[in-house]
Amino acid sequence: MANKSRLESPAVGLDLVAELRSTLERAGELIRVVESNLKGASEGIEGASSSERVAELERRLATAESDVKELASRLVDSEHQGGRLMNLYVATYQLHATLDPPEVQATIAEIAINLLGAEQFVLLLRRDEGDGCEIALIEGMYEGGRTFYDGEDYTGGDPMVDATLKDGVLRLGPTAESQALAAVPLRVQHEIVGALVLLKLLDHKPILRAEDRDLLDLLSAHAASALFAARLFATKDRKLRTLESLVKLARGE
Amino acid sequence: MQPRKVLVVDDSKLMHKMYEVMLRQYALVYASDGRQALDRLQEHPDIDLVLLDVNMPNMNGLEFLAQIRADGARADLPVIIISTEGRDEDTVRGMEAGATAYIKKPFHTEEILGMIARLETKGSAA
Repeated sequence: MANKSRLESPAVGLDLVAELRSTLERAGELIRVVESNLKGASEGIEGASSSERVAELERRLATAESDVKELASRLVDSEHQGGRLMNLYVATYQLHATLDPPEVQATIAEIAINLLGAEQFVLLLRRDEGDGCEIALIEGMYEGGRTFYDGEDYTGGDPMVDATLKDGVLRLGPTAESQALAAVPLRVQHEIVGALVLLKLLDHKPILRAEDRDLLDLLSAHAASALFAARLFATKDRKLRTLESLVKLARGE
Repeated sequence: MQPRKVLVVDDSKLMHKMYEVMLRQYALVYASDGRQALDRLQEHPDIDLVLLDVNMPNMNGLEFLAQIRADGARADLPVIIISTEGRDEDTVRGMEAGATAYIKKPFHTEEILGMIARLETKGSAA
């Protein structure tokens, strides 16, 4: 439990990296001491017992080298983990940092482009009334290549996307039936209100990596709720302003 | 000792937040396009390093880079381009424009921190 809470904070993750770096430096110092002793021993200062001492020092050196390798590996893992946590923290923070709907949409796009490396993607949101989804955001796609995503609505057609909109399961592609790389269900509480569909990654990002799954899960849980909260606030704010204007008019102000 | 000052030039608020969290030990100055970045350089002549996006409104990263390289006082200022433009020709174009290094988005945190550490070591050795 303690470990879990430590890893939840990027700042603590960085502290852990600093701690590991310090340990690595201490291990390096140990190696230098052992090497120095080994050098002295190899010069034959101790006479007959020197061979035993050399063997002992060699054992210690091997142990120290093994420790350094393990610590270096742990340092790399920790730095990587720290980076993953930082991405998740920043994405969550920024999604909920505003109540302006266009800004929330821009943040979703920025996460897809800058953190996931998506070049083409579509954000679909279910219409309040009727079937189909509103195409709330489309990026990197030109008129000629839109296929299912022409116009303002998505009315179905991609089997992977349709299945995700139906059952709320995150799916990764492409598959024989679908060219989508990922269909990410968007949830508000337990309701599926849309999907983020990744269609193409940047050329230098050939595949979605294991750590990208964390970001896709985060988008699934937070993107729609942030967008809906912003839209609700904008609607209420607009109604409030209308009512205030009416009150002023009634008072003759 | 004053923390080193880094100019972040990116039109994404998400990336501004990312650099804020990643580079806590540095003093950060932000700009959202090349024009703003030129203003920030005037306001903060003690900037030590620039992290530069390429695709931005008003003035893009390469135009900004060309301007500061043409300015004798800024000719040696380290500039790391950090961009989604990841083709080889994009990297060549960036380096020819005067970038010190080119990192592709999405990046791993260690790439940025490692590059800054190398530049600091190089700077202190010079």
